[in-house]
Amino acid sequence: MIFGGGENIKLMDFNTVTTIAHQELKINIRAKWTLVFAGGFGIIALAISYFGLVTAGFVGFQGFTRTSASLLNLVLYLIPVVSLMMGTLSFTGEKSANELLFSQPVTRSEILLGKILGLFLSITTATFIGFGLAGFVIAVQVGTEGLTRFLAFVGLGLLLALVFLSLSAMVAILSGKKAKAFGFSLFLWFFFVLLYDLLVIGLTFVFKERTANIFIFLSLFGNPVDMVRVSSLILLNGTTIFGAAGAALVKFLGGQMASSLLLISALGVWVATPLLISDRVLRKQDI
Amino acid sequence: MIEVKGLTKKFGNFTAVKDISFQVKAGETFALLGPNGSGKTTILKCITGLMSPTSGHIWINGIDVWKNSWEAKSLLSYLPQRVAFYENLTAREVLEFYCRLRKLPLDRIDQVLEKLHFSFNGFADRSVSEFSGGMIQRLGIAVAFLPNAPLLLLDEPTASLDPEGAIKFRKLIAMLKQEGKTILFSSHVLSDIEQLADRVAILVGGKLAAVESVEILKNAIRVNSRMRLLLNNPNENFIKTALDAGATEAKLLDAHLVVSSKPEDRLSILQALSKAGAIIKWFSTEEPSFEEIYLKYTL
Repeated sequence: MIFGGGENIKLMDFNTVTTIAHQELKINIRAKWTLVFAGGFGIIALAISYFGLVTAGFVGFQGFTRTSASLLNLVLYLIPVVSLMMGTLSFTGEKSANELLFSQPVTRSEILLGKILGLFLSITTATFIGFGLAGFVIAVQVGTEGLTRFLAFVGLGLLLALVFLSLSAMVAILSGKKAKAFGFSLFLWFFFVLLYDLLVIGLTFVFKERTANIFIFLSLFGNPVDMVRVSSLILLNGTTIFGAAGAALVKFLGGQMASSLLLISALGVWVATPLLISDRVLRKQDI
Repeated sequence: MIEVKGLTKKFGNFTAVKDISFQVKAGETFALLGPNGSGKTTILKCITGLMSPTSGHIWINGIDVWKNSWEAKSLLSYLPQRVAFYENLTAREVLEFYCRLRKLPLDRIDQVLEKLHFSFNGFADRSVSEFSGGMIQRLGIAVAFLPNAPLLLLDEPTASLDPEGAIKFRKLIAMLKQEGKTILFSSHVLSDIEQLADRVAILVGGKLAAVESVEILKNAIRVNSRMRLLLNNPNENFIKTALDAGATEAKLLDAHLVVSSKPEDRLSILQALSKAGAIIKWFSTEEPSFEEIYLKYTL
């Protein structure tokens, strides 16, 4: 990979990237964010698994597949906001500390990638500890059936985290100031988690049926939260319950595997695009 | 070693630095002198590659700082004006991080701490959040000295140090000068400039007023040193007496006779005034202010 700082071109040094990532991870663990999220994820997963069927008159641990399905909406709400907040906090950090870091013979691309990697490892650690402990309890109580799906579901959650970390970097770098960056981040969360689907549903009334179907299908790729929702439901064999967009997608692509691959690739684009924009802006930005 | 040519930096409509050009030779200690807001930090940040010039160029050993920033930065070490570190790391962890970034062996840390005589009073393995401002500044200095870079850029390096720390730091700079390092630092403390620098660039409102050797600057300060005498019997004739005894300027303000002279002429001026009948009730000496020195260079 070739990245540069200023106008120069230099091969990216992955030792530098991992050194910065390690430092970022250490800072987040010491700041106790990681432990707070791990605890939160663990307690929520256990609570949802235990009380998930309380309305059906059943109290007790559910299997991995049911737990994943019950956790889905919570993950789609929590992971984006956690990623946006941690990312914004890190990228708008202490200005003087940044001056010292950016004056070292490392490229700005290495710093950007190192920080993103460190933040991602922090969230991964929190997720594995939280969902890992919950998974252990569930496995002991009801067995390991559906464990692979649960792990894949956690993987999709982490991919969503990476998308929103990448967005947080872009927002922080473009905003410059901490308060502004937090404001934009919260707006992004509100937009993708709550507003987007309402807008899409509203706009479908404007189009004729065939155009509306295409619009719904294409709209899926405009929201990473929806993409993870659909991917998770495909994964959990819930294709019959997730509505028109997902059903249209699976039908259009002729299979669940192809749909999953397409969605994961699209999520990859959602990770890469904000990162490339951040890199381009950061290279020319005054520190 | 450093060549700055036609450097201008604007922030929106505000011009922080305008058309600055100077050179720093290898092995030289060069100071940027000016009050707050005169553009010292902006110039240093442009040289470090932290800021892009609006126009102009900067080269370090012939390498364009902005076009080849990574290469240029490998030749320098920078100490920012306000140093900060993540508070939940220890001093040693901070130093290890910068060692790894610079690809230096970790035993370099102890060598540098020994050279700097920084023991951190046993705090090296404690969280930076427990550090005082002076200790954080010392940690910043230690980070800056880790790589043994040929060029040191120091922004107000003694600003947050206690007197003992400042004395140690000045000794360190003197030692580095002997080792042949090129040092560019900013300051608004005249004594720092006088003791450490070979040449000085004087900045006024983002413009370069002059680049002088410190010897010439010292002379300007000496010539403009003042005595203020409170006389019991003020008289216009004492002005001429003071001028005849070596004063460069003398004026009477009510009962005060204000005399400018070289410091070594002060005693003979006092003796001449006394001999001429002046009854001196009290006197004080004054060094010229920055503004006065700037006026000398800007008028």
